[in-house]
Amino acid sequence: MALTSTPFLSYHEIQVDKIDIYDDAYGFYQEFNDVMNLLEQVKPVPSKRLTKRLIERVRQMN
Amino acid sequence: MKKTMSDYELIEKFVKGEQSCFETLIQRHKNKVFAYISLYIRDQALAEDLFQDTFLKVIQSVKSGKYYDNGKFISWVMRIAHNLIIDHFRRVKQLNTVSNDDYESDLFNSKKFAEANVEDHMIKKQIQKDIRNLISQLPDDQREVVILRHYSGLSFKEIADITDVSINTALGRMRYALINMRKMMEEKKISLTFN
Repeated sequence: MALTSTPFLSYHEIQVDKIDIYDDAYGFYQEFNDVMNLLEQVKPVPSKRLTKRLIERVRQMN
Repeated sequence: MKKTMSDYELIEKFVKGEQSCFETLIQRHKNKVFAYISLYIRDQALAEDLFQDTFLKVIQSVKSGKYYDNGKFISWVMRIAHNLIIDHFRRVKQLNTVSNDDYESDLFNSKKFAEANVEDHMIKKQIQKDIRNLISQLPDDQREVVILRHYSGLSFKEIADITDVSINTALGRMRYALINMRKMMEEKKISLTFN
């Protein structure tokens, strides 16, 4: 009999660090896929100038 | 292979005098912190001040031994940002001078935009402005959960801790926020016409 089996995964090998169990259980990403995709269009990042100014202030504190 | 230092390892080294370790922490977490503050506070100049104040407050707290590692450094930083925002609104309320300045951040500080054609640029800019407006029209508690979950990547457990509510309440706020946003999208006929 030709057996095709999935590789065995131990409990500790299952990656759950980046998964929010509540997100998963409530299925927000499935149900509100359209809204989530829209939210993806905005990616606020601090400007280089702002980051540089912050690092300079941190250096002055020390 | 070079091992990436954990947040706590970086903090320990920073306390011992390795300045660059805090800079690594800033680079690692700046986007999450900035997204939260800049989407919550519409005034860009104020958002930038609070962004800097958050990290400076983190340093003060770390140096005075107020940080105890539980593997959730970013969650702790976001709580500091949250408290600074609340303090700000309390002060504004006391002064009774609420600002209604429309906030439009520099979303196009990437060189890529210089190469994109003008029409695409304008469509994208309009969509981003619409989305910011959608977010800003949500009630405060719903807006906060959406930002902390979607843009700052915190878990619902962490969001519940930061905002002092139960996990069920945080989940409920998220659901209402998404329903409200979908309703507004339909009313305003906002859709992804640009990819």
